[in-house]
Amino acid sequence: MHLKYESSTREPLVEGNKTYHQVTEDICKPIEQKPSRLWYIGFFFSISLLLFGVFSVFWEVYWGIGVWGINRTIGWGWDITNFVWWVGIGHAGTLISAILLLFRQGWRTGVNRAAEAMTIFAVMCAGQFPIFHMGRVWDAFYVLPYPNSRGPLWPNFNSALLWDVFAISTYFTVSLLFWYSGLVPDFATIRDRAKTNLRKRLYGLASFGWTGTAKNWQRHEALSLVLAGLSTPLVLSVHTIVSFDFATSVIPGWHTTIFPPYFVAGAIFSGFAMVQTLLIMVRKIFKLEEYITLAHIERMNKVIVLTGSIVGVAYLTELFMAWYSGVEYEQAAFKWRILGPYWWSYWAMMSCNVISPQFFWFKKLRRNVPFTFIMSIVVNIGMWFERFVIIVTSLYRDYIPGSWSYYSPTWPEVGFYLGTFGLFFTCFFLFAKYFPVIAIAEIKFILKTSGNNYKEKMAPIEEKSVEEFAHEMEHAH
Amino acid sequence: MNERFEISPRLRNTSLALIAVGIIALVAGLFNLKLSHDHVDQTRFWIVLLHNSVFFAMVTVASIFILAATSLAQGGWIVAYRRVPEAIGANMWLFGGIAVVVLLSIVYFFQIDGHNPIFHWVHPDGDAILEGKKAFLNPTMFTAFTVITVALWSYFGFKFRAISLAQDLAPKGKTKLYFYNMKVAALFLVVFCLTMMSTTPWLWVMSIDAHWYSTLFSWYNFASSFVSGMAMIMLWVVYLKNQGNLKIVNKEHIHDLGKFLFAFSVFWTYLWFSQFMLIWYANIPEETTYFKVRMQGPYSIIFYANFIINFIMPILILMARPSKRNYFTVTFMAMIIVFGHWLDFFQMEMPGPLGAHWHLGWYEIGIFAGFIGLFIFAVSKSLAKHSLVTSNNPLLKETIIHQS
Amino acid sequence: MAIKKFAVACYDDEAVLFPAIDKVRNSGYKLHDVYTPFPVHGLDQAMGLKETDLHIAGFIYGITGTSTAVGFMSWIFTKDWPINFGGKPHFSLPAFIPITFELTVLFAAVGMVLTFCYLNQIMPGVKKHVFHPRQTDDTFVVAIELSEHTSEAEVLAFLKSTGANETNVQVAESEWWYGRFDKKEAYELS
Repeated sequence: MHLKYESSTREPLVEGNKTYHQVTEDICKPIEQKPSRLWYIGFFFSISLLLFGVFSVFWEVYWGIGVWGINRTIGWGWDITNFVWWVGIGHAGTLISAILLLFRQGWRTGVNRAAEAMTIFAVMCAGQFPIFHMGRVWDAFYVLPYPNSRGPLWPNFNSALLWDVFAISTYFTVSLLFWYSGLVPDFATIRDRAKTNLRKRLYGLASFGWTGTAKNWQRHEALSLVLAGLSTPLVLSVHTIVSFDFATSVIPGWHTTIFPPYFVAGAIFSGFAMVQTLLIMVRKIFKLEEYITLAHIERMNKVIVLTGSIVGVAYLTELFMAWYSGVEYEQAAFKWRILGPYWWSYWAMMSCNVISPQFFWFKKLRRNVPFTFIMSIVVNIGMWFERFVIIVTSLYRDYIPGSWSYYSPTWPEVGFYLGTFGLFFTCFFLFAKYFPVIAIAEIKFILKTSGNNYKEKMAPIEEKSVEEFAHEMEHAH
Repeated sequence: MNERFEISPRLRNTSLALIAVGIIALVAGLFNLKLSHDHVDQTRFWIVLLHNSVFFAMVTVASIFILAATSLAQGGWIVAYRRVPEAIGANMWLFGGIAVVVLLSIVYFFQIDGHNPIFHWVHPDGDAILEGKKAFLNPTMFTAFTVITVALWSYFGFKFRAISLAQDLAPKGKTKLYFYNMKVAALFLVVFCLTMMSTTPWLWVMSIDAHWYSTLFSWYNFASSFVSGMAMIMLWVVYLKNQGNLKIVNKEHIHDLGKFLFAFSVFWTYLWFSQFMLIWYANIPEETTYFKVRMQGPYSIIFYANFIINFIMPILILMARPSKRNYFTVTFMAMIIVFGHWLDFFQMEMPGPLGAHWHLGWYEIGIFAGFIGLFIFAVSKSLAKHSLVTSNNPLLKETIIHQS
Repeated sequence: MAIKKFAVACYDDEAVLFPAIDKVRNSGYKLHDVYTPFPVHGLDQAMGLKETDLHIAGFIYGITGTSTAVGFMSWIFTKDWPINFGGKPHFSLPAFIPITFELTVLFAAVGMVLTFCYLNQIMPGVKKHVFHPRQTDDTFVVAIELSEHTSEAEVLAFLKSTGANETNVQVAESEWWYGRFDKKEAYELS
């Protein structure tokens, strides 16, 4: 057994005086209790949003894509904007669980479960947009690689849009597997303490008969590590491929080589903001402040200011290169972005994404929960505008002034977007009620190194001189 | 903990011999190339100096970057051998200084028939595109950016080391300096964003092909120099370990460095591919000229070697866990990676000025050897000056029990 | 599938568990398995378990995905139905990379998860005997398989001496079976 030690300079990740059993109790409590009134209100609100979304989509499918505001010049509008926005949000979950696992960041344990759930739901929402954007949605299966009815004619594997099909579906599948493999042991925990037969049976099914033998855990850890190793480049690849949708083209404002890493940075940025929005609510409603601590919030705010600044560097790089390139079309594209009729969207993007996160340089604000909550929403508004700017304001001033155009969404477009919020929050409310929102086994794993009460007991180790400590450790092995 | 590194005569002699090789190559180059009437030879004299000085300056700043990044992320794993990047970073002034001298000499003193074969923008001579870039690409701007960049990097190189040394003397359990270090690290990242992640590679490297542009270029340069910087750190750690120093470093720490080499080789490939594929796919002539000469022209052998050395080899050799924990494979791969990214910079810089007449001959190898010698000499001096292990770093005990 | 008799010891701390496992292994009793609520690092070494080769399986699945993708797309675009897309070569490798990468990851991940379930013998509807209801909560359980000749009292006394705070004897199925967790099995004596 390895020594459970962590430096006292690190903040504890679990507050309060917790034992293993207490951890189980705290996290399982929301599942075993009747949901609160707040939960019901939220849930039914989400369901009604979802129904409105279903109606909006029905309207569009029935009448055709013409009911949307998009036109010949601006062929991609809210639909693709929302698609990219949701996919971007879907990135933080896998980032938290995979990259932070590889980087051995212990604080991921408090937030990864909810973040991964968010990923899956966000990707579900994202997937709706390109599908219904196709117009004749009943032919959507043409994207699948099979020789279709017109002879052995295949989809175009050279098309960035088809890459998207593969990327998004792979991302969804792998995220789901990663998430579920972590859930299996926690379902077993709920199963073994279930009081009602129904719960025992359902969680028995969901837990796959997990009992937690040493060998199973050994394989489980190997699986988590490899899935993390696979998911890390996968996260990068997904938004990279989304960026290829634009960057492989020759449209000024779209064709730029920085797009892949800059989209990824932006995705992480918006994903973390969404995690903040959700977790600040979850920790409050389910009284999980001791597991999702201020330390967690502060760290995520640091990621937000970092990625926000990276995105800022990318914006400025793009702008600079448009001038530096000497290509008048590039220069015009940026002129129309910043000074054209859509100027407000560019400045909304700049102020929400680059300027406002700079507040997080101040420790006081990083640890201020209401401020963080507001900021997390501001950031996601900004990231929505980023996609809007990239898509709409690169299209609306065509090469031919005769086809210059302007675009506003119609109600079915807005309804569709609201509907995905309904879908997202319906799923999230169900998740929060029936699933452990914090990874129980993983919290227990770090409890004795990072739990507040255990850290206090490490004082004698901290007192020891380093030489003595090194000497002891050498002989312990 | 106090642990001293004594420069072995062998190391000193090797480094001095390499420096001698470099000086001989430089002197011979001076007579043979600089004074020759062949324009290609004259250009070769300078571009090789630029290639090596820029490469080593960027590799050195990678050490400062990893110090800043791990300080901010509270990384415990690197504390065991933190003095190595600190010592490399403390020599920023030297390699940055050489780069400044070489770059400014090229801008101000090198011209053939009234134009500058390396930085064409120095004398645009009515070239409409270069005239258009004049607000950025001009000697004053270049000088200002270059000098300020190197000055800032050198300052932070000294600063991180100074804080770390001060921590050694601070009373036990005091964390004030530790958190101060984090603040300095955050500040450095801002500087880094505005230099290495944007302007510096534009000016030092991309402006060699002054017509061409790519928004990703700086991030790509960062990836290339960062992974070679980590490889340099790896080489030093393994060397010190072999000398019987760095007792608290074990395979767990080597494993982590190996992971960095692996992961950032993949990251480099990702950026390489993103830049290449987007230009290949869109097929706009202004952009594809860059890859035309490299991929299908006289540089194709280097283009493919670059890809094989920097991607295929690391991914195949470093993927397995045992190979990241084996001192021989990691040393071998670290050397390969340093060479591979040196080659990467070679293929970025040579085609513009030299065209088809590139060489990888006595002069290139000699100057590279000289820089390696100087790197070994300078860094070993810095390492020997102070204890090899930090004393009061709050994460020191964590690093001792570190599990990869 | 076999019904066997087990001596069960429960520990409440992993610090007690490690010496106990050493003692059990030295005692000559047949260690059936150890159940923990979360992964305990070093437990596999303490029990003398082999490293898992799951990642090698993952590598093989990944390579399969890579070759499937490259082979399939190359065959389609060079042999089955070559089409000129924007003047690009029929075999345009850079454009195949994204899908190749995605399929590599997909094959590796799905394959590994299925292998993981197969190796661990877990699946929806599978039931395994739970020695202690809190073995997935805060209890570390060591199960020793008893033969007909072992004295139960002796084993239990030995287990007590290793620091167990609860010991008992259970007759149970040692493998998995299809069943429901809401039903008590007839032969469970606990």
